Amino acid sequence: MDNGFWFALLLVSVGTLCMRLLPLLWMQRHLLKQKRKGGLAAIPGWLSVLGPLMIAAMLGVSLVPATVGWSAWLATLLGALAALMAWLWTKSLGWPVLAGVSIYGLAILLARLMTGG
Amino acid sequence: MSWQTGAREATPLLGGYIPVAISFGMVAVQAGFSVWHTILISTLIYAGASQFLFVAMVAAGAPWSLVVVMTLLINARHVVYGPSIAPWLPKSRWWPFLSHGLTDQIFALALSRLPQLPAGQRLGWYSGAMLLAWFSWVAGTAAGAIAGEELSRHWPLLGEIMPFALPALFLVLLAPRFTSRSWSIALGCTIGVAMVLTLYGFTNASIPLAAASGALCFYLTTLHARAGGRLDG
Repeated sequence: MDNGFWFALLLVSVGTLCMRLLPLLWMQRHLLKQKRKGGLAAIPGWLSVLGPLMIAAMLGVSLVPATVGWSAWLATLLGALAALMAWLWTKSLGWPVLAGVSIYGLAILLARLMTGG
Repeated sequence: MSWQTGAREATPLLGGYIPVAISFGMVAVQAGFSVWHTILISTLIYAGASQFLFVAMVAAGAPWSLVVVMTLLINARHVVYGPSIAPWLPKSRWWPFLSHGLTDQIFALALSRLPQLPAGQRLGWYSGAMLLAWFSWVAGTAAGAIAGEELSRHWPLLGEIMPFALPALFLVLLAPRFTSRSWSIALGCTIGVAMVLTLYGFTNASIPLAAASGALCFYLTTLHARAGGRLDG
């Protein structure tokens, strides 16, 4: 690899780190200032709305199967339902994920067997 | 120990991280990167989608400046993650290192879990979760770069099934947020827009665009509800 690779790797790494670090430090300082002034230390309203919506967007992206087809969509639906049911039952993080992946995997395997793939 | 709790609660992420990291290791080696270069990219950049773009553009012979700009553009969404979880994180001199692990998935997990933890445990929890995810990403990349083809030959379906851990986890993190009509509409709209954009191939732009359209829905429905309240009152 030539110097260009190292230069690009360095810039992208430092740039990505700055995008993660600097806004965090800035907000921590902003909240501390608010607290010292005796006000309520809270993040701006739009940011508290945007956070959960970013997770919703990640969910939307990750729900789309890599290979789109009826069996993959059906498996996605069944896996999502299994995860939701397990969450309603256990209110935990791990078991719903395990249930979702198990049912999704089972549906994919059954579809493969049925179609002979 | 709070870091152990963080690591334990981040374990479901591994189902999504490791198969994707193995794929990245395979793709990078096939694109002409050495095993060490591939591992270094995962260790230092540590951002899935942009790493794939980085190696694809380099392999296609794109100018380095364009590679840097495009990769950073994809990662720009990270700027909202830190401020969103800042109220629950104490000041620490370790942040320049710890914030390296603030990925999409760690953010999603932290935003849901940090408010529920006692203040003294939050930094430890975040460190445990972040380190486990980072190590799994680097280890997965190494496995993919060294023995990716062997792994996919032995377990061809595993790479297809395990990544479902990520949507399952996001679903569980979001479920408690469907607390009002405004939130339900905004979250539903965001999920729908993200799915449509991804289906049409705009995967990289879909997260910020879908979140922005969801925010618009949220404010419109909130305004509508307030106007309705005033008319009724």
